[in-house]
Amino acid sequence: MITPTPRVVVPSVTVKGEVFQVKTIISHEMETGLRHDDRGNVIPRKIINRFVCRYNDVMVFSVDLHEAIAANPFFEFSLRATESGRLDFVWEEDGGAVYALSHQLTVA
Amino acid sequence: MSLTRRDVLLAASAGFAGAALFSPGSARANDEALDLVKQLTGRTAIASDRLHLIMPAVFPTGYTVPMSLDIDSPMTETDHVRQIRVFAPQNPIIEVASFHFVPQRSLARVSTRIRLAKPQHVVAVAEMNDGVLLMTKAWVDVATNGCA
Repeated sequence: MITPTPRVVVPSVTVKGEVFQVKTIISHEMETGLRHDDRGNVIPRKIINRFVCRYNDVMVFSVDLHEAIAANPFFEFSLRATESGRLDFVWEEDGGAVYALSHQLTVA
Repeated sequence: MSLTRRDVLLAASAGFAGAALFSPGSARANDEALDLVKQLTGRTAIASDRLHLIMPAVFPTGYTVPMSLDIDSPMTETDHVRQIRVFAPQNPIIEVASFHFVPQRSLARVSTRIRLAKPQHVVAVAEMNDGVLLMTKAWVDVATNGCA
């Protein structure tokens, strides 16, 4: 299995009060648990089941993912710039593994 | 717990015409989607043009169908979208995702890519801050099964 690798595209500088776009993706097979291997055994489910974005430790956007989110889950969403600080992105996988990225944002 | 299509069809076998959700032009499609939301959430939704569920009407593969949601909302403390749930009634597992928003901090819009097992109406339900459920749907014709 490939190692899940998260990526985000976010501006580094923006203006207070403005809306900015966030694009996130993580390489992940999103194994649904509905498929069978060559011997007819069910391939166990392993998906990213939750995605959270925090802005200076305040949750500003989150997703509960189910089996029908496509492989390599991609989200594009919009946040309002309130103050300079840190954006934290966390992806939670079945079984408890967590993948995370942070991004520094300067609000002028 | 995941909602499976079987759960819903069993629950529906008393007379609900679940099968009718398949037809794109059906004048009853709205009522059927509202019935489905009632079954899944136990609550009554209102069909609303404040919700925009943007998906291709025809797409070659069911594996990665683009989906954009945009809801007309000022996203203030007194008037905002709490969450949007998306359902694909003809998928083996009906629930697709729930998106959670925060007033003043996020806009009620998101884009992603989803799997569809067969041509169907995708249903989006927005829960507003006052508890009202708003519903819309989009017909998507996929050529291949994205869930196999």
